[in-house]
Amino acid sequence: MTVVTQAEIVEALLDFIALPDATEAEFEAMALKLFAWQFRNNEPYKRFALQRGRTPLTVKRWRDIPAVPITAFKDLTLSCTPPEAATHVFMTSGTTQGVRGRSYHPTLAVWSRSMLLNFRKRFMRGRERIRMGILFPDEKALPNSSLAHYLGLARRECGTPDSEVFIGANGLDLDRLLPVLAEAEASGEPYALLGASYSFVPLMDALERQGRHFALPEGSLILDTGGFKGQSRELGPDEFYDGLSAAFGVPRAACINMYGMTELSSQFYDDGNAVSHPVKSGPHWVRSRVVDPLTGIDLPQGQRGVLVHHDLAHFNSVSAILTEDAGEIVPGGFKLFGRVDGEASKGCSVAVAEFLAAARG
Amino acid sequence: MIEHAGHLPGLDPEALSWRYASYSAWGESVEIALPALEPTQARDLCEAVRRNARVRLKQMPTARIVDAIDAAIARLLDREHPLRRKAEHLLPIVTGYDRETVRLGLTSYLKTFRRPQLLRFLAEDFANPAVLDGFQPTAKGGFLRAHGPDLLLHVWAGNVPALSLWSLICGLLVKAGSIGKLASAEPLTAGWFASLLAEIDPEIGQCLAIVWWKGGEEAGEARFLKAADTVMAYGNNATLAALRAKLPITTRFLPHGHKIGFGLIAREALDSRKAPTLARLAAHDVTRYEQQGCYSPQMLFVERGGRVSPAEFARHVAQELAAIAHRHSRRELAAAESAAVAGWRGAQEMQAMGGTAELLGDPADPWSIVHVEKPEDLSPTGLNRTLKLVAVENLDEVPALVAPYRSFLQTAGIAASPARLFQLSERLGEIGVTRIAPLGRMTAPEAGWHHDGRFSLLDLVTMTEIEQSAEAASEGFAPYVD
Repeated sequence: MTVVTQAEIVEALLDFIALPDATEAEFEAMALKLFAWQFRNNEPYKRFALQRGRTPLTVKRWRDIPAVPITAFKDLTLSCTPPEAATHVFMTSGTTQGVRGRSYHPTLAVWSRSMLLNFRKRFMRGRERIRMGILFPDEKALPNSSLAHYLGLARRECGTPDSEVFIGANGLDLDRLLPVLAEAEASGEPYALLGASYSFVPLMDALERQGRHFALPEGSLILDTGGFKGQSRELGPDEFYDGLSAAFGVPRAACINMYGMTELSSQFYDDGNAVSHPVKSGPHWVRSRVVDPLTGIDLPQGQRGVLVHHDLAHFNSVSAILTEDAGEIVPGGFKLFGRVDGEASKGCSVAVAEFLAAARG
Repeated sequence: MIEHAGHLPGLDPEALSWRYASYSAWGESVEIALPALEPTQARDLCEAVRRNARVRLKQMPTARIVDAIDAAIARLLDREHPLRRKAEHLLPIVTGYDRETVRLGLTSYLKTFRRPQLLRFLAEDFANPAVLDGFQPTAKGGFLRAHGPDLLLHVWAGNVPALSLWSLICGLLVKAGSIGKLASAEPLTAGWFASLLAEIDPEIGQCLAIVWWKGGEEAGEARFLKAADTVMAYGNNATLAALRAKLPITTRFLPHGHKIGFGLIAREALDSRKAPTLARLAAHDVTRYEQQGCYSPQMLFVERGGRVSPAEFARHVAQELAAIAHRHSRRELAAAESAAVAGWRGAQEMQAMGGTAELLGDPADPWSIVHVEKPEDLSPTGLNRTLKLVAVENLDEVPALVAPYRSFLQTAGIAASPARLFQLSERLGEIGVTRIAPLGRMTAPEAGWHHDGRFSLLDLVTMTEIEQSAEAASEGFAPYVD
């Protein structure tokens, strides 16, 4: 086996990402090469793979590369390089049991290339730049947030100079945002609002209280991500996108949901939310599967299971992740149905969720 | 086929509307019609049950009620009886438990409600059960009489077959007019039992009703909650809190929350002859009702120093779980349940990678055991045949490991010598354990069990006392006074 360095892996990945597309065989070859690298350099992942009886010698298909449950990022240091050598550590916001999942990045070269190429294609859609209003704290406020980095990169690379962040230390800055929206409405120039899904809820509520709504110019866009996470009211998809559409005059087809996670280095998008649960897909360096959570076996198209993402750009950690998200493979991508949880006990025994809720007090 | 659930005496069957729910398992399906009452029907039903209980049930001697229950149970124990046949056919489809589990579970459970056991129930809570029939002299002087509530509302939950009979029968024994709200996960047995009672003793049948409403939502709920004198409810803490918030302050509320069972196995029980038997019993407790019962074990604490080590014992239990899986297939799991099992297994796998845990059973097996060598606090597993086995140096360490979870404690299964049984029970009792069972019997409480450490009957009644001095004073007003 030839010894591969990180620099070589990074270079190979940048080349792969630069390709216009990738066939199954091309993806597989790169995935297997990366698996061998991660197996050799990521000790906990190696133990995990060995426990599953999967090694670079036995695995011949990308689908057989063992997927690590997302909770592992809380318990284990999954990094091919010493974690102290990481230039960036992204952490999950989840506070279940007070432990946050971590992703270590010795370089953001691949992460940034992956984000930008895909963002340009799926959100910018051929536009060079657009004026952005960002409803999420910036990287200075949240240095360990992958979403803060994502939005920062979007603003620097694809936003006009007058793009702004409207969430500061004191939360949403309505006094600054509303005049900007009014100005954008009057200017006739398309405007983009981007942020966490839960950041939009208090904004919509405030507008409704004031009896205000905007009609942003044609071509304006909205990007939301991450769901509500208990940070705001929970809204159903129809209620949420109808609300956005009514508040900002942006049709649901121009409201795009980004699906990403700290434990990956690439994102998924839909092509608007004209209907609920639209098809989502990622770039050619990511492939997704839907599996039976118990056995890890692929489920046929159209059957609901748990999503597994295989993101080649997540090279320093583990590329294959078993999520806690329910999904269904459909032509052109997958449909996402939120988290797989809920009442696990049908009887009167305590299940984990209730126990944790009680432990948190 | 459509099976109508509930028991609604006095309501016009033509005027009822029904909600239909489909259940399927084991390649069969059944549609169940659940009664959806209008608020006026709910009100009429509450009034009728209350009135009937007052003029009928409360005037009956307890013995007559015991006889009627005994006769109903005898029919349900008779495997040739049409209702028993129906139960054996439909309960596996509705609850998902396999036929043998349902059949064996029903028989062993129903046996606790035969006449001798019912008398034990009464004797357990009342020094003199005749206080339920009239004033009885007390040791301190004076007389005592016990009254059950006029209207007792049961709010049932969960899919353990026939669990509802426990509280329903307790209510009848204290002559409470009873209304039970069916659990969607097992909406059949209570209605069947009520109808059977009505057939055996029509007067008793007029004093109880079995209803349904969609949890927390329907207008009907408010009527029932307002009408009841006492509410006995089962469910998780969130459900119970929501329910309590809706009750008038004067209503007595008797909640039974979710619990975690656990086992303790002493070194003296771990020799090469006893360990395999014990493993079989532990596996039985795990499999019976798929750990859905409040008494079901989720964790076993196993002491080091026996001839069979905790690691070896884990293997014995694994072997037994594998063997049982051949005879009793695991229920088909809903997506959330599979995810819970997978999530738990995933977390254990992570521990195993750190070398601190050992995971037995493949992901595709219908059971998993994780064995850890370091002491660990009590915690729930993924349920559905997932068990954690914790090795400890000494079982004396266990009370400290479970004490922080007092509100979730109930049953502990113990395999230890008599002296240690009492010693451990003493310590476990202090921290909130209310039932000590042997392994193999954790899911089958004895007749007269104090559920959650409470008095099944005594908690339901109010006492009326005639003080000794009142009796003495009345002498002065007798027509025959000198």
